[in-house]
Amino acid sequence: MKTVSSLLDQEWYERYKRISRLNIRSSIYDVTNRCNLRCRGCFFFSSGEDKAASEETDIRKWEAFIDKEKERGVNLAILIGGEPTLCLDRVEAFYKRLPSFCATNGLIKLPRDRFPDLMVGISIWGDEDDEKTLRGKDTFAISSKNYEGDPNTYYLYTITPRQIGRTERVIKKIQDVGLKVHLQLLSNDESVDGFSWREEEFRDIRDEMDAMLDAYPKTLISSEYYHKIITTGKMMGRSFGWNECPSVTEYFDNRRPPPKRLIHFIRWASDLKTMHRCCTSETRDCTTCKDGAAHMSWVMVNKRAHLRSTQDLQGWIEVYEMFAKLYQFIPW
Amino acid sequence: MAVETNKLILRVAEVMIDELKLEDVTPPTFSPDIDLVDEVGIDSMDLATVALVLQDEYGIRIDEDDYPKLTTIRLIAEYLENKMQLKT
Repeated sequence: MKTVSSLLDQEWYERYKRISRLNIRSSIYDVTNRCNLRCRGCFFFSSGEDKAASEETDIRKWEAFIDKEKERGVNLAILIGGEPTLCLDRVEAFYKRLPSFCATNGLIKLPRDRFPDLMVGISIWGDEDDEKTLRGKDTFAISSKNYEGDPNTYYLYTITPRQIGRTERVIKKIQDVGLKVHLQLLSNDESVDGFSWREEEFRDIRDEMDAMLDAYPKTLISSEYYHKIITTGKMMGRSFGWNECPSVTEYFDNRRPPPKRLIHFIRWASDLKTMHRCCTSETRDCTTCKDGAAHMSWVMVNKRAHLRSTQDLQGWIEVYEMFAKLYQFIPW
Repeated sequence: MAVETNKLILRVAEVMIDELKLEDVTPPTFSPDIDLVDEVGIDSMDLATVALVLQDEYGIRIDEDDYPKLTTIRLIAEYLENKMQLKT
């Protein structure tokens, strides 16, 4: 039997042991149905999830709900929306009770006196041109002023096909405001013209992502193995999709044979009763889904499959470390 | 008692090999003291899979909160033994 220590040298083994018992149990929460942007390609609005449930407005019900989530074993609350910063009392209810992460477009500055170390992930979709096309404005111009130099903030840079050959400038401007950046790929949920990936573009962008990681290792929170997985949709000869995705709400998961999945994962709507099928929208084609967290989780839950070789296991460690950094389980 | 524990150790090893499809190991060669997380690469979902089978077989409940303590086959076997004793 191949053991972990037989595949790793001492340094890698120590890295493995630092993460092997973290036992991250995340769930996702729609904090609100409202947003201060309406981006073309946003799965939440394009799939009608904003109308799937009426928002619970009683903060005491949110607090009681979060306490129950904690009892259920959740140890990472991923707050999405809509735009969570429109409802800071709800964000605060999570922050006071659970390790939390807030996804935001960055247009509203989270008050750091109220949320001193809450991890914030700011979305950026391509460069200024793409942002104006897809989101109606250059959000970076505002969000970068709101969060410049914040040690608990990073950019989640959604790369569009138009970014091939242009990612360095975006990464550099993020570096210049003293923030880190994580990469994912646009899934183009509303089929906006010119924003769907062609197969050969995945090869090009993978090479570019690798080159950026070499050039900006302290700014980019990423790994070559992650680039490979998200651009190819393949891992260990298996293809990403409904039969493999780990981020399916437990209640809806009737897949047979059951794949490795996130334990007790649920994506909750803002009425605190309705559950969504998965971490993105159920109108999305799973075979073309490029959700970054889902792909990271896919790697993470398949640890033993990576005990095949030293290279495979090191790839797994790097992806797990990346996730653990992005959600504050280990420091940058 | 030692005989019972040894039998349990072999059975836990067998369930683990079968359920998790571990290769190049048999119940007698599966060290009962090898760290399941640090060395075998077992995660909590693996443990939950094994726990389901053992719960059914021995008619006891393995609490999820106890998973972090169950880090070797010997510790799992001793845990089962204690639970079964409490039942009688």
